[in-house]
Amino acid sequence: MNDSPISRGFRSPRQTDNLGNRIPPGQYLTRDFPVLSAGPTPHRSLDQWSFTLGYDGTLLDSWTWSQFQDLPQTNITADIHCVTKWSKIDTMWQGVTFDDLLRAAGLRAPPAPYLMAHCDGGYTTNLAVDDLVGGKGAVVTRYAGAPIEPVHGGPARLFVPHLYFWKSAKWVRRLSFMETNKPGFWESNGYHIRGDPWKEERYDGD
Amino acid sequence: MIDARPASGRRLEWQVAVVCDIAVETPRVKTFVVRVDGWQGHSPGQHVDIRLTSEDGYQAQRSYSIASPPEDELIALTVVCVDDGEVSPYLHRDLRRGDKFELRGPIGGYFVWTTAAGGPVQLIGGGSGVAPLMAMLRHRERRDHHERAMLLYSSRSVEEIIYREELAAMAGRDPDLRIIITLTSQQPERWAGYGRRIDKAMLADVCFPPETNPRSYVCGPTPFVESAAQFLVELGHDPLSIKTERFGPTGG
Amino acid sequence: MTPSDTGFALDGNAAASLLQEFFACEVTAASLRCAACGATRVVGALPVYALPMGAVLRCADCEHVLIKAVDTPHGRWLNMMGAEYLRF
Repeated sequence: MNDSPISRGFRSPRQTDNLGNRIPPGQYLTRDFPVLSAGPTPHRSLDQWSFTLGYDGTLLDSWTWSQFQDLPQTNITADIHCVTKWSKIDTMWQGVTFDDLLRAAGLRAPPAPYLMAHCDGGYTTNLAVDDLVGGKGAVVTRYAGAPIEPVHGGPARLFVPHLYFWKSAKWVRRLSFMETNKPGFWESNGYHIRGDPWKEERYDGD
Repeated sequence: MIDARPASGRRLEWQVAVVCDIAVETPRVKTFVVRVDGWQGHSPGQHVDIRLTSEDGYQAQRSYSIASPPEDELIALTVVCVDDGEVSPYLHRDLRRGDKFELRGPIGGYFVWTTAAGGPVQLIGGGSGVAPLMAMLRHRERRDHHERAMLLYSSRSVEEIIYREELAAMAGRDPDLRIIITLTSQQPERWAGYGRRIDKAMLADVCFPPETNPRSYVCGPTPFVESAAQFLVELGHDPLSIKTERFGPTGG
Repeated sequence: MTPSDTGFALDGNAAASLLQEFFACEVTAASLRCAACGATRVVGALPVYALPMGAVLRCADCEHVLIKAVDTPHGRWLNMMGAEYLRF
C-alpha cells in the first residue's frame, strides 16, 4: 500500500480468518454477496430466453430454456473472487458445464481457441477455451438451491470461478468462438485480458 | 444555466483530515467537523471522498456531502450510521477527536448553488439528502443574502430531523426563507404540518411558481429524488432548472 | 426528464471524482449528447453503474453506454465512443 495513514482502530469486516491459502493475494473474505453491474438488470422472460453457440456468423447450436434444462446438470461448489477485492468461499451453483455444451452441440473440439460471451444488456467478456474446458467453466442457472436472481445474473450466467468474477458474465445469451483473443467490455478499457486472481491479473499491464 | 467553471486545476489529491469535533445530530446521524491543512475551499453542494486504511492495508472509500458553507474554515460531514456498513459504523463508534483519515475534494460542479446563482431557490431533501442543501442555506445566511429560498425536508419523524434546531432558528431569523417539514412515518400529537411522502400536490403548494424561474435542488435516496424531480417537471418546472443528486437505493 | 424505470441507483455525481481526473473543466456540469439516440443531458444527472470497478455512464433514455472510465495502477482509461459530444 502507498503511504496512507492508518485509520486508528479501523478493521476490515472482511477478515481472511485462517483460510490463507484459499484466498488469492489482495483479496478479503466476505459473507455477503455484493452486486456490481455495468448496466441495469435486464428482465428477460424465460419463454423469450435462448442460449446459443456461434462461430464466425454461423449458428452452431441453440437451446430454449426448457431444452437447456434438459441438458446434463452439474452441481458446482467454488470460491469466487471479485476484482474489487472481495472473495466468497464455498458458493454453490448448478448449471451446464462448457464440456457438456460442446457435447450437446456435437462438437468434438471447440472450433476456435477463444470466445466472446455476449449478454443481455450488451456486456461482453472474452475467454480462452482452455479456461472453460475440463470442468472449469459452466453456464449456471441456480445459486444456493434457487434460480439465480436477476440482479445476480439470472436466469443464466457464465461461471468461470478460477478467474476474477467479471469473467462470469451475467445474463449470458451467446458464446461466439473467435480465432483471436479480442478484449471484451472491461478488457478493452483497463482490465486484464485474462484475469487470474492467483497471479493478481487485475489490470492491463499487471 | 450550466455552471461549468474550470476545475480547480489542482489534481484531486488525498489529503489528511483531522477530526476536530463530533456532534450528535440524531440517534443515527453525526456530524464530523474536520480540519484539512491546505484546503482550497469548496462550493455549497459539493462532496468529498474519504478513505480509511486498516493495518493490513485494506482500504474503504466513501463519499459524503460537505454540510458546512465555504465561509467556514473547518469542513463538516454529516454521516448516517448504516448498521451493516463498513465505514459509517467505524466513524460513529470508533472515531475520536484528533483521529485522522484521508479526504479528497471538493468534488462535483453540477450540484452546486451559490448566492451568485440567485433565487428563488428551492431545496428538496430526503433524509441525509439535506446535508448538501444545508451547506447552501448556511452559505446564504453567512453572506447575509435574502434570495427567496425554500427547503422542503422529508424525514420519517421529528427525532430524525437533522439540524432541527438550526433550521428553526434560521427560518425564524429570515422572512425570505421558508422551511417546510413533512414527517412520513410518525407525527407528534398536534402536528400541524405535512404527514406524508412528498407528492405533486405538496410540491404545488410549497414550491415557487415556475414563472418565477426558481432553481431546484433535489437530494436524497434515489427513489425520492426521481419522484420529486418528476413531479416538479409535471408542475411545469424547466427540467434544466432542476439539479439532482441521488444517494443510492436507500440513501445511506 | 422521465425517471428511468430501471431504477438506477446512482448518478454522475457519484462518479465525479473518477471522471474529473480526465478533464480540465467541471465534468458533472457538462452536457453530453448520446451518439445512439441524440438525448442530451447533464453528466451529473446520468445513470452510473459499475462503481467501484469503474464508472459506466449510460443514456437515461436508451441505456447506450456513453462513458466508460477506469482508474488502474497503470493508467486511467476513458472510452467515450457512445458520446457524440461533451459540451462544457
